[in-house]
Amino acid sequence: MEKLINELKVKLLEILNLVDIRPEDIGEDDQLVGGDLGIDSIDILEMVIMIDKDYGVLIDNRTVGEEVLQSLRTLARYIYENSTRL
Amino acid sequence: MGHVRVHILGMGIVSPLGIGISETKDALKNNLTAIRPISLFSTSKNRPLPVGEVQGFIQDESIPRTHAFARIASAQAMADYREPPDAIVLGVTTGGMLTTEPLLRRKEQDYSLFRYHSPSSVGEDLASRYRVIGPVICVSTACSSGAVAIKIAVEMLRSGLARRVLAGGADSLCRLTYYGFNSLQLIDPEGARPLDKDRLGMNVAEGAAMLLLAADEPRHAVAEILGAGLSCDAYHPTAPHPEGKGALAAMQAALLDAGVNPHDIGYISLHGTGTLDNDLSEARAIKAIFKDKMPLLSSVKGAFGHSLAAAGAIEAVVSAISISDRLIPANTGCRICDPGLMLAPVMQPKEARISAVLSNSFGFGGNNASVVIGTPGKFSPSAHDIKRSLKILSSSCITGAGTTKKTMEALFNGRSCQGLSSDVEISENLSPAQIRRLKRLPRLALSLAVEAQRAGQRPDKPSAVFFGTGWGALSETFNFLKRLEETEEQYPSPTDFVGSVHNASAGQIAMMFNSTAANVTTTGGDYSFEQALMTAGLLAEDNGKTFIVLGADEFHQGLSRLLDESVLRGQCPSDGGGALCLTRGGGDRGLNIKLAFFENAENNPKVISSVVQGLGGVERINGDYGVILAGIPGALKEKAADQLKTFLSLTGFKGPIIDYRRQIGEFASASAVAAVMAVKFLERGEIPGALFGGNDFLLYKKGALVVGFGSFVTAMELRET
Repeated sequence: MEKLINELKVKLLEILNLVDIRPEDIGEDDQLVGGDLGIDSIDILEMVIMIDKDYGVLIDNRTVGEEVLQSLRTLARYIYENSTRL
Repeated sequence: MGHVRVHILGMGIVSPLGIGISETKDALKNNLTAIRPISLFSTSKNRPLPVGEVQGFIQDESIPRTHAFARIASAQAMADYREPPDAIVLGVTTGGMLTTEPLLRRKEQDYSLFRYHSPSSVGEDLASRYRVIGPVICVSTACSSGAVAIKIAVEMLRSGLARRVLAGGADSLCRLTYYGFNSLQLIDPEGARPLDKDRLGMNVAEGAAMLLLAADEPRHAVAEILGAGLSCDAYHPTAPHPEGKGALAAMQAALLDAGVNPHDIGYISLHGTGTLDNDLSEARAIKAIFKDKMPLLSSVKGAFGHSLAAAGAIEAVVSAISISDRLIPANTGCRICDPGLMLAPVMQPKEARISAVLSNSFGFGGNNASVVIGTPGKFSPSAHDIKRSLKILSSSCITGAGTTKKTMEALFNGRSCQGLSSDVEISENLSPAQIRRLKRLPRLALSLAVEAQRAGQRPDKPSAVFFGTGWGALSETFNFLKRLEETEEQYPSPTDFVGSVHNASAGQIAMMFNSTAANVTTTGGDYSFEQALMTAGLLAEDNGKTFIVLGADEFHQGLSRLLDESVLRGQCPSDGGGALCLTRGGGDRGLNIKLAFFENAENNPKVISSVVQGLGGVERINGDYGVILAGIPGALKEKAADQLKTFLSLTGFKGPIIDYRRQIGEFASASAVAAVMAVKFLERGEIPGALFGGNDFLLYKKGALVVGFGSFVTAMELRET
């Protein structure tokens, strides 16, 4: 789980293209959307694609998305439970 | 004050519901839907998604599909009229993209294959077919393009700039929009059901609609365009303002412009895409205006799909049919209306006699347009200001030499400004968070806007944005298509799609400045900035507020040389742009700019004598102007040089002539930099001799002309008043 969270941090920063933030600056339980990182709906979609592509886990409706993308921890848990690649 | 009525003389339509007005009426009367799984191109591993695809038409392979649609719709609109219209205003988002996509996949390097790529080539094609000698304006404001085009045409007619204008919108399906909207999870796989409680999104569609509009020609008029209003959410690149603030502003502006009250509106043709957010915010905005006295309303996007730039024009045609045939279309696709919307759409087509329709079109970048269409002669035309020229408050530019100060330093010392400024240089005015998702073009545009605004003496931020770009966001477009191909259509990038729309940069500027008034992006190769300036001249309000007009283009390694032959002919890759903060009203004297002339040079042998006349004749040109900045695009060097020669021999102009592309390089919006150069010359009162190979030249209060030559001839005049 921890490994997955750290991996997600790196991928998240790459997607967001935030050059001045380091992986360790993001807390596992920080609010993802609308939090300090300035993540919006377009970033979310980009993350959803990455999760599908890299872990084979589909998040294709808003209700699931809102639940899963609360924090890195909730996201990692969802991937962990649903991915056949881990 | 003018009191011009704008009549619809002819209409044409190509849509998934049929070709021609009569097929369209039949389909609407029978509540048909045209939404079916796509067959136009293969979707490889993916299940084909539902779209609105035009059926039963044979593609002429020599032109792209969008161009073919526009030709057919125009032929219908022009069927009873032989005289060419004075101008064409067309909304287009993707132009020849459907043709470009396989060319790029095959790595074609022959630039001539890409000659129909540009959205503006659609209108230019029509101009050459109808031998239009006036301007061709190409509006690219995403899904509101068609409606914005109608607004610009209306203002052209009201101002007396034209007596007849062919206006509308056209777009064909292409992979970019098909996969792009899907990457945003905005597609309803069951087929769009606007306003339905279970709605899941829209369906991308295609088509074209054209309207021949005329000033005060009530005979044979189908309907009258009473007015139109524009606004910008200045909120988010894709999501609408949750309360529908921008939608509300556009509708209010349209009603005011039309001189009608909410209770005059008998039917609202909703934008109603079927996405959760759009339908909710639009419903809220409508509630705020009409309260408990709701007109009939429906969205036709469950029937047609969403044909992007064509949608606003198609829905204007539908609105005119509602007036002329008393036909109110159903909200096709909606079974049980979402109670949260608190609307009661028309569920079955019905007959009703109405006098005015409000038609909504909203797009990415929070770009909103509403058009009011009514029974001819029923309402008194509202009075419209005769617009005065625009006062320059401040300016900025970027070239290969850097931002304004560095560019001017180089120019005044006779050094070349060709080349590309680094990403760091063009981003230095911008915060990392602001630009984290932005590639080169939006950075250029934002940076120009920030610098121009800071350079002004006024604290207020621009309220409206007019942006001209020859080729749009090439990096985003290229990256989107590349990733689409590399991932076998599985994982296209939503970020790149959102960034690829031509008006994304103008939307970014609006968000930065909270510019909630009109937000228009025009695109037309070397004359894009001139189109933006003309549009600003027609649309900017006479209220003393600041607005910004800018032009910018990026150089892209993979695309620029294929799309823009002038870049191919240039010495070295160059890009950049220029911006002007302007105002109208307030009455102060100062430095003014005006787009004084814009004509098509094709089929127009008298274009040069026409520009001389348009500028007030030989005496005025020599008396009022001290310098000419000449735009000689590399691709049309001989033709443009000949035109300049004729111009000089007709006028006998003796002042300095600056062939500005030699200094700043070959890119479509180079004329925006030339306008800024002219501002700086006039501010200093002299032209550095290094620029034209002579001694420093004193202007003695004379003005400057920036004249564009080539396939169009344009003239911007800058002078003290």
